[in-house]
Amino acid sequence: MKRLALTLTLGLLAAAQAQKVATPVPIGIAVAQTSNTALLGQEQVIGARFAEKFLNARGGINGTPIRLVFQDAAGDENSAINAFQNLITKENVVGIVGPTLSQQAFAADPIAERAKVPVLGPSNTAKGIPQIGEFVARVSAPVAVVAPNAIRQALRLDPKIKKVAVLYAQNDAFSTSETGTFQETAKAQGLNVATVQKFQTTDTDFTTQVTAVLNAGVDLVIVSGLAADGGNLVKQLRQLGYKGLIIGGNGLNTSNIFSVCQRYCDGIIIAQAYSPAQPSAANQVFVKEYRAQYKKDPPQFAAQAYAGVQVMVEALRALDRKKKLAQWDLGELRTALNKQILAGRYNTPLGELRFDKDGEIIQKDFYVAQIKMKDARTGSFVFLK
Amino acid sequence: MEASQLLQNLLNGLAIGSVYAIFALGYTLVFSILGIINFAHGAVFTLGAYFTYTLVVGQFENNGLLKGVNLFPQGSPLSGNPWAFALATLIGATVAGLVAVLVERLAFRPMRARGADPLLALVSSLGVALVIVNLIQLLVGAEIYNFPSDAYGEVRPALSFQIGERVVIVRTVQIIIFAVSLAMLAVLGYVIGRTKVGKALRAVAESPGTASLLGISVDRFILITFFLSGFLGGLAGTLVGTAFGVAGPYFGVTYGLKGLAVIVLGGLGSIPGAVVGGLVIGLAEAFVPADYSAYKDAVAFALLFVILLVRPQGLLGRVQIQKV
Repeated sequence: MKRLALTLTLGLLAAAQAQKVATPVPIGIAVAQTSNTALLGQEQVIGARFAEKFLNARGGINGTPIRLVFQDAAGDENSAINAFQNLITKENVVGIVGPTLSQQAFAADPIAERAKVPVLGPSNTAKGIPQIGEFVARVSAPVAVVAPNAIRQALRLDPKIKKVAVLYAQNDAFSTSETGTFQETAKAQGLNVATVQKFQTTDTDFTTQVTAVLNAGVDLVIVSGLAADGGNLVKQLRQLGYKGLIIGGNGLNTSNIFSVCQRYCDGIIIAQAYSPAQPSAANQVFVKEYRAQYKKDPPQFAAQAYAGVQVMVEALRALDRKKKLAQWDLGELRTALNKQILAGRYNTPLGELRFDKDGEIIQKDFYVAQIKMKDARTGSFVFLK
Repeated sequence: MEASQLLQNLLNGLAIGSVYAIFALGYTLVFSILGIINFAHGAVFTLGAYFTYTLVVGQFENNGLLKGVNLFPQGSPLSGNPWAFALATLIGATVAGLVAVLVERLAFRPMRARGADPLLALVSSLGVALVIVNLIQLLVGAEIYNFPSDAYGEVRPALSFQIGERVVIVRTVQIIIFAVSLAMLAVLGYVIGRTKVGKALRAVAESPGTASLLGISVDRFILITFFLSGFLGGLAGTLVGTAFGVAGPYFGVTYGLKGLAVIVLGGLGSIPGAVVGGLVIGLAEAFVPADYSAYKDAVAFALLFVILLVRPQGLLGRVQIQKV
């Protein structure tokens, strides 16, 4: 195994050596375009494309355009690894924004780490992502910072909440990490975690879990899963008569959930690392463009993907000012880009952000939204004060 | 276990078990006639759900080549009340049956004509299954689609009744699934046991050569078998899709594996065995304690393993006696 990893690393390094940077400058986007995770990934594709269009219209990297190279990372580890390998060795990208899931990041990021290619996680919020290696950073605030806000908001809406049910997708690294945070926060707030139920992201029938929740007589249900399974679970909870508040984790933080749980989505509380009301100039432009094209507010996943591309481009601009990109060897540029990403401050749709030495995002503003359904298929995230 | 919990688990198990049963019947019908497993059955199950969804909703708003297509700008005539939805379901299942007929023509008949090893037909059907699944993904993307909650009219989402201090709740859709599955099993039992077509099918299953000598068109009855099998698979797909959502092109894969477990458990080629096997696996899953429900698939297959150790021919299968 070690020998295979060494061979692979040497191969990747050899491929990168003494290669010039292509024009337009290729940036890899490895997010889920297929599988259940595509519910999140397709928003990231939209966000990244917006960034490409907007940043190129503003001159790209001091006059040199960028080119986003998309590879489908689907929802599993192998697809993410393949996408990373293709971007690094075939497409010769300068850096990668991706993958969609934390679970995939733990598998694919080490590939980039060994090849010394900077990675920006656009939606990896599990504990330990920036610690994967020095070439790994993220623009998605960790779940431990974001998630507690949802419970605090639920208690503001209903101070009588005493008993909580927690459900999570046990085959998803992000969900298991997120549920830990939720459970710790619930206990810290003096709530009784009456039942903890597990499921799989591939499950469709949640009757067993829902029955257990109903029999526990809880006032609040917290769901950590992805949009397809989480939405289905919410639907079945409501159909079987649960009437209390529901908190959804980050995996449910997408308007694509509306078609899954339909009118039963109404009232789900979700903590956010992004709000369309964020006053930064970058966000106002992004929101205006997004609304014009899609007739709705941009979701968090699109904003984070946009921010990921923007951070890479602004770091490349800074390097280009020191030495023209065309004069860099690809390997050298990748290493310098990684250092520059961590050194900069960025004014993105997420607000102002920067990174600590590990590559962890330092972000100021967080929000909580509640889903309001207009009819069976259309709804919106209403931000709570 | 309390009485309420016992009843709740029974209801949950019977609902999902009855779907497994009608799905597995499709496998069993083909196996009893040809002696091979049709691996495309899971893909036909998926297609049934998508066909019905197309008739009821008529548009796919996510990824795929059909993105943006709207068959019913004024709303589908096959949505909004139980009878319209039932008609859509029957049409969807019928089209799925026709696809199964096509599968027979493409994957099985050429092999049979060449006298090929049954294993080749099995691999061929697996190839067809993969083509179907990828075609679905190409056309409508990989996302989950849900039938609108008003597709079958204003139905109460759940029924509940009190047992002692506990409440037992069952989703209306689970009751519908159970009722439809029972009705289908009764109809199929009648067709196979009491009609000329059924007699001919049994004759072909018993000995195709002898059936042919008696003037029964073996090829025609094989096609009928595939149609029935596809119809049942498509119907099961729609029932599951209605209850839990049409969970992407691959959602038939899990049911395909489950169906295999069911027919092996019940006894290969045994129609009552498929029913019993389906209900046993459904109930086994339902009785997995809630805290361990994520392991219900493992429990179902472990049960299969244990039963096969005790009864290798399955619950209702016959021991094969070979004269030497």
